[in-house]
Amino acid sequence: MNVLLVDDEEKFRTAVARQLTVRGYTVHEAGTGEQGIAIARTTTLDIVILDMRLPGMNGTAVLKEIKQISPLTEVIMLTGQATVKTAMEAITMGAFDYMTKPMGIDELIYKMEDAHKKRKLKTQQINAAAPADENNEQTN
Amino acid sequence: MASVSLGKKKPATTKISMNQGISSGISEEILQTRAYFNRLKIRLGLAVLACFIIPHVLLSVYFHWQFTTALKKTGKLNIEALAKSQRNTIDLFLREREMNIRNLFYSKEFTPDPGEQKMLFFLQTLNHFSDAFVDVGFLNHRGIQTGYAGPFPALLNKDYKNEEWFSRLMAEQVKDYVITDVYLGFRNKPHFTIALKMTIDRRVCIMRSTIDPDKFYMFLRSIGKVKEVDTTLINQIGTYQLVDPLKANLLEKSSYVPPRDLNTGIHERTDEDEIMLMAHAWLNEVPWVLIISQPLKIIHAQMYKTRNAMFVNLAIITLFLGVVIWITASRLLNRAQTVAEESVQLQTQLIHASKLASVGELATGVAHEINNPLAIITSTVGVVRDMLNPRFNLDSSPAAINKELNTIESAAFRASGITRQLLDFGRKNEPQKGMHNINDIFDKVLQSFTKHRLDLADIELVRNYAPDLPDIKIDADHISQVFLNMLNNAEDAIKEKGTITVSTNFDRRFIRIKIQDTGEGMPLERIKEIFNPFYTTKEPGKGTGLGLSISLGIINGMGGSIEVQSLPGKGSIFTISLPADTPTNPKTSNLDRGEKK
Repeated sequence: MNVLLVDDEEKFRTAVARQLTVRGYTVHEAGTGEQGIAIARTTTLDIVILDMRLPGMNGTAVLKEIKQISPLTEVIMLTGQATVKTAMEAITMGAFDYMTKPMGIDELIYKMEDAHKKRKLKTQQINAAAPADENNEQTN
Repeated sequence: MASVSLGKKKPATTKISMNQGISSGISEEILQTRAYFNRLKIRLGLAVLACFIIPHVLLSVYFHWQFTTALKKTGKLNIEALAKSQRNTIDLFLREREMNIRNLFYSKEFTPDPGEQKMLFFLQTLNHFSDAFVDVGFLNHRGIQTGYAGPFPALLNKDYKNEEWFSRLMAEQVKDYVITDVYLGFRNKPHFTIALKMTIDRRVCIMRSTIDPDKFYMFLRSIGKVKEVDTTLINQIGTYQLVDPLKANLLEKSSYVPPRDLNTGIHERTDEDEIMLMAHAWLNEVPWVLIISQPLKIIHAQMYKTRNAMFVNLAIITLFLGVVIWITASRLLNRAQTVAEESVQLQTQLIHASKLASVGELATGVAHEINNPLAIITSTVGVVRDMLNPRFNLDSSPAAINKELNTIESAAFRASGITRQLLDFGRKNEPQKGMHNINDIFDKVLQSFTKHRLDLADIELVRNYAPDLPDIKIDADHISQVFLNMLNNAEDAIKEKGTITVSTNFDRRFIRIKIQDTGEGMPLERIKEIFNPFYTTKEPGKGTGLGLSISLGIINGMGGSIEVQSLPGKGSIFTISLPADTPTNPKTSNLDRGEKK
């Protein structure tokens, strides 16, 4: 599973990345939103773990951009402050869910797997819908 | 560009000397307020007292002066009148005595050669009219005393033709009598003589009698009012003719002889440290002058009495007014002092409340700040757990684990540093002034709270510090709060990207701190409102509306001012001016204006 981790805290990023790596995930790291977008353009990503507060381009802007580049990629937002407002904002903008720092690795993986399931489901739906459309065209 | 300047609104109380012993526990502001009110109390009390007392004193002095002038005048008139009336009485007395003697010539018993029996009868007759007559004598034209009755029988047949009075009497053309000055004569005892000549059967004969000066004096003393004054009679060369035996002896010289050409008059002279008022009146019968004298202090006794009464009156009124004014002023000012002290305390509380509110505003940012190191800790703990998990087959050497522990430790310190700074700021501190550099305080504020936040919000911070900024005596805690408020506001004003420029400069008298943002700016109407308490444009729950109000209160308390310039769409400039020599300016709370954009 291809995972992109965007966070300006280098130590946090590497620690999470190491834990994910030993559990079999392929982890890409980015310190800024711009770096993250650059990776998103070149790599097919299953999951993006994205910090809300980033220097320069902020989390929500990055979310928008990534969703545009690859709409099927699921994004889990990380935030230092847990408010319903920020969560709602992130979800309306297309994020899968949000998590409050600090969080345990199991919790993160659980949410990632959830997101991955959703992504798979969406992919299947799209795949299923495409032939169906063709059929429809044929029948009409 | 809209611009509003808010200077000092209240007069600063002046410097006080502070007793360090007492001050512990009481804030400097309250002590300054107390000292200020104590001085005010004294000044007000004295001023009001003066308002009442000065006119009263002036009036009293004026009326006293009028009164004493009139009294002095009447005193002089009185004593002169007394001298005149006594003079007339004496003249009358002498004239009466002369008539008594004259009547002897016309009595039935008179013969040109009276014998001893007749002379005794004459003496009795004279004594019947006055006991001042000592004796009586009858002289023939040659000056031989041919008849005599009285206590000096040796005077019988005495020859008086060479006596001064006899020659005068014989030479006298207008009057037929003489009254002599007091003299010793043959009897060697002070007396004076009244002698009268009469021509009988073409022969001049003379009847004479001597008057006892003591009896004469007794007579004078018996006239009313004279007991209060000192009465003397002197002749024209100043010899005493009549005097108080306690003061001088007869025939001695008086030191003062009134001028002959002034029939009556007044004279003032100092006698043994005592000022005497003297009045004289020349007699008509003899060339004698009557002098009556009285010490001025007795004449003016009434004046002294009223003067004393006036002083007592003044003292009582002053005391009474003083007490009333003191009580009133004390009550009034105590009330005002209580209000002022409460206001100082309220200001302190408000500053603290606003500080806590700022902390609350910071909390969202700080949660992120703290959660970041906490996230590092939990994730690194996860890494270590993985290392110890044989399933992952990782390097679990002590060196590798130690490296992770170091990461955890430094993150923990980072978190505690943030909380400590927050606690430091939120703590309720008593105002404490010290010498500080504004640049350093600003840096500290930026370092503690805002720098990282500004980075995140994509706001560039430009610092233009003047290198020559002098240290000034301020409360660092309070001024930090002002800066934080200003920076918070600037940050809030910038919606997207922007720049906050902080500059300081010094122009000899004032240190100016300029906080300029490239935010949304404000119209003039809003600038007028921003310093009002509880005015806020922030969304509910984010701003208290107290920040700028409190900031203005703090800056005014330091003797400074805040100036605002703003242009909608371009940004705002807040300029704080602080006097460079602030050690003595007190805190006077100014809560009538102030707050955030």
